Amino acid sequence: MNSLPLITFWLSLGSVDPHPNVTPSVLFGLGWLYLVLFAMNLVWTIQSYKRGRHFKLPDLFGGQEAPNAAIWGCYATALFLVATAHFTCYSRPENFLLVMPDFAKNAIDFIVADAKRYFGVTMIAFIGMLLLRNWLAKPNVGWVLLNAALLFLTISLTDWDFRQIVGKPDNVPIVAMLFIVGYFTWLFFYRANDNDRRRLEGRPLFEQEKNEKVLTWPDLVYTEMICMIAVTAILILWGIALQAPLEEPASAVKTPNPSKAPWYFLGLQEMLVYYDPWLAGVVFPSVILGGMMAIPYIDFNKLGNGYYTFNERKFAITTFMFGFLPLWVGMIILGTFLRGPNWNIFGIYEFWDVHKLEALNNVNLSEYFWYGFGQPLPMAPAGSDFWTQAPYILAREFVGFVAIGVYLGVLPMVMAMTVFKTFFIRMGFVRYMVFSNLVLMMAALPIKMVLRWAVNLKYFIAIPEWFFNV
Amino acid sequence: MAEQKLSTAEILAKLRASKSNAGAAAPVAPAESVAAPTAEAVAPVESASAAESAAAKPGSPADVLAAVRAQAAAKSGTASAAKPAAPKPGATSDILAAIRAGKGGAAAPPVTSVSAEKVAPSKSAVAASSGVPKPSVEEMLKAVRGIAADVGAVAQVVPVKPALPPMPVKPAASKDKKGAVERRSFIAACFSPLVIAFGSMAATGLLWVLDLARFMFPNVLVEPPTKFKIGSSSDYPLGTVSTKWLAARGIWIVHTDQYQGKNLIYALASVCTHLGCTPNWLEGEQKYKCPCHGSGFYVTGINFEGPAPRPLERVGIRVAPDGMLEVDKSVKFQEEMGQWQDPNSFVDATLA
Repeated sequence: MNSLPLITFWLSLGSVDPHPNVTPSVLFGLGWLYLVLFAMNLVWTIQSYKRGRHFKLPDLFGGQEAPNAAIWGCYATALFLVATAHFTCYSRPENFLLVMPDFAKNAIDFIVADAKRYFGVTMIAFIGMLLLRNWLAKPNVGWVLLNAALLFLTISLTDWDFRQIVGKPDNVPIVAMLFIVGYFTWLFFYRANDNDRRRLEGRPLFEQEKNEKVLTWPDLVYTEMICMIAVTAILILWGIALQAPLEEPASAVKTPNPSKAPWYFLGLQEMLVYYDPWLAGVVFPSVILGGMMAIPYIDFNKLGNGYYTFNERKFAITTFMFGFLPLWVGMIILGTFLRGPNWNIFGIYEFWDVHKLEALNNVNLSEYFWYGFGQPLPMAPAGSDFWTQAPYILAREFVGFVAIGVYLGVLPMVMAMTVFKTFFIRMGFVRYMVFSNLVLMMAALPIKMVLRWAVNLKYFIAIPEWFFNV
Repeated sequence: MAEQKLSTAEILAKLRASKSNAGAAAPVAPAESVAAPTAEAVAPVESASAAESAAAKPGSPADVLAAVRAQAAAKSGTASAAKPAAPKPGATSDILAAIRAGKGGAAAPPVTSVSAEKVAPSKSAVAASSGVPKPSVEEMLKAVRGIAADVGAVAQVVPVKPALPPMPVKPAASKDKKGAVERRSFIAACFSPLVIAFGSMAATGLLWVLDLARFMFPNVLVEPPTKFKIGSSSDYPLGTVSTKWLAARGIWIVHTDQYQGKNLIYALASVCTHLGCTPNWLEGEQKYKCPCHGSGFYVTGINFEGPAPRPLERVGIRVAPDGMLEVDKSVKFQEEMGQWQDPNSFVDATLA
């Protein structure tokens, strides 16, 4: 066998980037994406024209009234031109200009490739969402946000590493899920703001005024049947288009790197990074399930039953959204798109380097305490039995026990006298203790995460001798 | 559109509105007022006799129901309140029935107008609608009373309990339980289809369980033996971690002097102490790094990063009589329990 052609082939590849950011086929596909965006915005423009809203042009352009549809029309046209540019110029990707610029990639990676910054940005976005809910829930703003997200996704696809993460068959439905979560969050605020405004103006609620009740037969049954058919069709198409990400046969001594849980468990997997397996894998999931079952018995607010509202259930909705958006969905994003080989955190435009180094030397609270005072850890004499060891171990970890005891035992009392005063009065002692402990346990996850990232705290209580770590 | 497809709530609301209208209109009329059945609706001429005959034979259950309901509403209004109108399409209940039956707007005239006309206050029995041949007051009174009487009669019918059918005669076989079970019948019962069916099912289940138990003790165990030779100690130079046995046996052979400054050869089990994934040995970084949750271990096996709560476990190792190193995976040595001091957990490289 003559291997010369193969060698020359490999030599010719020498100058070719093995991870090209843009290729002709990528550009051609992006052209289709822009075309879809154009079609969406064309429909939106027509709708806007029919609604007939106007705005005032700046004085520079004459200060006349112009229909809102004009802006959307310009935007849609621009999208069409961009799509055309992709379709006509895709053959020379090295000269193509409309790609994600490097400075933007670096800026985004700077934020998301660091857990502290990522979580901080998530929290800022969450608080901003609550504060700006009246503005964000406007249909035009919602449409702009959807377009921004889609444009971001489209332009990001010009990056090789981003394509590897987002285009993985495992991850495609997660991307879709993010849009669905965004839509339903937006829808909630849209309807809730509407009802809150109606309450302020003394008008009847949307659910009372525009009753959407329909008959089970035929309206609901038909709707369900159509949904059934549509979902089946989507699943079939999905099964044909995206191949199942099968791997080599499983082996007890070979773990894929990175090894990821199913997407809906990535929040739990992320929790396992910070807490001991029995806590993050057994206790906390049970508390989450049991706590959710306990909510109807804890909740004393009778309002918001059967209609959308935010103002009447501020605490309940904020707490739920905090648990769901930054903690659950945020952790799914972190686990899906940002966790790479060796469970290190990578930026979305960063190459998954197996040898990326992250300094993660973790320190237990007891070590912080005893070494902080210049003392060695209390240690039982070598070879001593259980009863001799036990007091040494408890003495070693006493600061952690005190911390946990204060957190779960004393803090609820303090909160009952300060921030949760009305809650305590309305709930009574037992219900209040259940409630406050559930809230504190939920808060324990972000607290531990931040402590891990900020001061490399490993465990509050670390007793590996007894398999007891908190 | 709203008229064509009334929601349940809307129908209820309209019913209530018409009822309250009736209640409001009735006191206006003097005590002896009689609600004139409106003749305006469908039939242009409604003579009293026609109404009477219609009422005498309540055609459908819906009609009767409507009449009863109207009567009840009238009673609740005032003491001698307006008597119910004849079961004509004008009654609210009828409209409801019509809507339910046909869901069409055509059969159902707007309810509000009907309710306004239904209780036309008339002391001297002035008919509500004009331009229509009017029956006399006596006729109407008679008709209405007749309806009321009929309706009352219908309403007061006490449902008679239907006679129970006779109980089936007990079969002879089940009757004589007193006699002792005969031997022949017992044996016959043992071979009844039911017993055979359940018996064979139980036997199959038992066999299945026994098979399952047998499955736990295979004839041939394809697992490698837990004790195996790994070559001489010179195959493992100082400062190396050998991954030679990782794929087949799940152990690393470590030769290092970093643990307490002693020059040792030992075998580490490649099971992360967090949740049991297999970490990777990273030569450049000189650490074991777990791909599942990012736990990291020094070359010695001591945990230092990520969530793993304790060091990797050592397995037994010794110098066999033939000078080869022999690993015994059936024993474990945990550092946090002080078991790494056990001489079975390492081989002193200076002696081997």
